[in-house]
Amino acid sequence: MGSSEKRSKDAMSDIPTFSGENLQNNLKVIQNSRTFLSIIAGVLAGIIGFTGLTGFVFYFVVMLITSVGLMAKAGFSADLYFDSWNRVLFDGFLGGLMSFVLFWTYP
Amino acid sequence: MNLGFVIGVLGVLILSHAAYSTIQYRGLLKITEEEFSGPPMNVVLELIIGLALCMWAALTFPGKFLSIHPDSDENRAVSLPDNSDFMIFNHRGRLFPPEIDMKF
Repeated sequence: MGSSEKRSKDAMSDIPTFSGENLQNNLKVIQNSRTFLSIIAGVLAGIIGFTGLTGFVFYFVVMLITSVGLMAKAGFSADLYFDSWNRVLFDGFLGGLMSFVLFWTYP
Repeated sequence: MNLGFVIGVLGVLILSHAAYSTIQYRGLLKITEEEFSGPPMNVVLELIIGLALCMWAALTFPGKFLSIHPDSDENRAVSLPDNSDFMIFNHRGRLFPPEIDMKF
């Protein structure tokens, strides 16, 4: 009885348990934020008139600000809402780059 | 239609006005035959305001983060099912103790 209880307790502590639906919801929120902000960043880079490498540097800067904002939204405690920090930092980065290049046109 | 959505629409409107101003400025430069080095000062100001508004909208509008811990306060089931009157525990099955010791 004691050993079985101990074993089940070990299993409980070994396997990370979290709510998958809520994790999906959080990832969707991050994806939406990044997509919208990459479109806005493309519009801005077009208006200011960046060309070449400067525009991509501008995209990285905007995404960095977005990451900081998302961290602040999560209250700087990622383990409560995500399984790792990389979710906040890198999710939706490349997909946002496509939207950025699409909207990066000169007026 | 909440506050974040309205702020996002406002930011996009400000950005489109900035784009229109820049187009006019470039037309002026084409007439006077000068080179475009950067947008004028009021356009830069509009861009900064628009970016700040859109950042606010992007961080608030898509929804709130939900806690993924199964034992956090938001994820607990606090209400009993409606048909609890029909649940009977005083039947012959209680003579056989369950083999699994489940933890709740």
